[in-house]
Amino acid sequence: MKGLLRNNFYATLSNTKIFAAIMLLLECVVVAIGNKIPSLVMGYMLLTMIGFSLNSIASLRKEGATKWNKYKLTTPVTRSAIVQSYFLSLLLWLTVGMIFAGIGVALSIMLHGFLFDRSTDVFMLFVVGAGISLFMGAIFFPLFYIGGEERNEVFLGISLLGGTGLVMGLSALINTLFPAPMTTTQIILGGIIILVCALLVFVASCPVTTYLYRKKEY
Amino acid sequence: MENILELQQVSKTFPKSNFTLENVTFSLPYGAILGFVGENGAGKTTTIGCILNTIAKDSGTITLFGQEMLDEDTSLRERIGVVYDGDNFPTYWTAKQLSKIMKGFYTQWDSSLFQKYLEDFHLPTNQEIKHYSRGMTMKLAIATALAHHPELLILDEATSGLDPIVRDEMLNVFLEFVQEENHSILLSSHITSDLEKIADYITFIHNGKLIMTASKNDLVYNYAVMRCKESQFLALDPKDILAYRKRDFQIDVLVSNGKEAQKKYKNVVVDHTSVDEIMLLLVKGERI
Repeated sequence: MKGLLRNNFYATLSNTKIFAAIMLLLECVVVAIGNKIPSLVMGYMLLTMIGFSLNSIASLRKEGATKWNKYKLTTPVTRSAIVQSYFLSLLLWLTVGMIFAGIGVALSIMLHGFLFDRSTDVFMLFVVGAGISLFMGAIFFPLFYIGGEERNEVFLGISLLGGTGLVMGLSALINTLFPAPMTTTQIILGGIIILVCALLVFVASCPVTTYLYRKKEY
Repeated sequence: MENILELQQVSKTFPKSNFTLENVTFSLPYGAILGFVGENGAGKTTTIGCILNTIAKDSGTITLFGQEMLDEDTSLRERIGVVYDGDNFPTYWTAKQLSKIMKGFYTQWDSSLFQKYLEDFHLPTNQEIKHYSRGMTMKLAIATALAHHPELLILDEATSGLDPIVRDEMLNVFLEFVQEENHSILLSSHITSDLEKIADYITFIHNGKLIMTASKNDLVYNYAVMRCKESQFLALDPKDILAYRKRDFQIDVLVSNGKEAQKKYKNVVVDHTSVDEIMLLLVKGERI
């Protein structure tokens, strides 16, 4: 697993370096502007979380340009471990995105005060960012092994839209369950429901992807 | 257990391309180099894919070190080194990064041996692979395949596209590898001169079917080609003819024992032959 994770890390590294540099720059802008435009902070938080995750899954295509996908299967790793490493890498990059988002919002609050309407808004932003990322990965990985790397961009688009759609759909469902005005407990419970659903789908997608990958021939 | 690798009646069909690998059977003894020869698209890579489990065979059995290798059998893959033709590794890696990754894959990965190979092959450690020449990428792949102390090397067209000097250098590395009596190499190639230099056995494959397996010495010293006129050809015993090919003014006939053929057919010119010519006759020629 260590070798596989390192392999995934190198595949993501060059794009992530650029993305991280842009995010750092954006973080400076967001912190400098302060709480004049709260939507900027919200956008920054979502962008970092989803962006790092997107970079992680987009890197799968880079391996397809060589015989590495085939070669990897001749090494002492199982197909199941290869798939697990992709899921784990996405989780790691999502964590990096969440740390970036956390630092950005924390600095903004420390320097300019609390900029959101309710204290639960920050939690919900993390839920939405993580939820979209997890759903996105859960949709992308099986599609990647069904359709092949040449359709990578289409699948990235589908999974991003799918992830966003699922989080929005779940939010709409929770809104009908807990009619407005929602209490703080209800908001947190709603957030947890979204997060648990995303995690369950993400975890369930792993064996499905392994099953599809086992049928792939190189 | 005499063979490091055994294939029994291995078949695989690709319905989309209409290609079938049909009942391929051969074995590779310990301490030997088996040359796997065939034209492009003959089924060499498919056979290797079946051996290494990158392709699922439809039927037949393949045993490596005496047992069938499943996806879970990672310990068996520890004992195998593989080299494919072309880019084996992502080109954004450096040799140093490659070593770090492989260390996470193989329990027996030997970083110092890998470093030694890099030095011997004059490969830069910190340069991205995309800046390597073709010869350098193949050398890197061979260094990688050897650096975890494998017992079996499976080389799929590993020498194609290399200049004669690099090829010769690599062939010497392979010969050195089989000095250990439990080490073997399966070398697929359509460059028959390479196989003539190093192989102990040669297996011919054509259109997904195995045509023949023979020892190289037998092929080089005993096999021969009779240059016959039409009337001489008609007088031949069909049992002696392995394959024949009609040319403008003569018919070339492949026989398995040149000396006996010379004794039996005194007026016919019998020439020593090469693996190249044998392959041509087997592939392009006809059989009775």
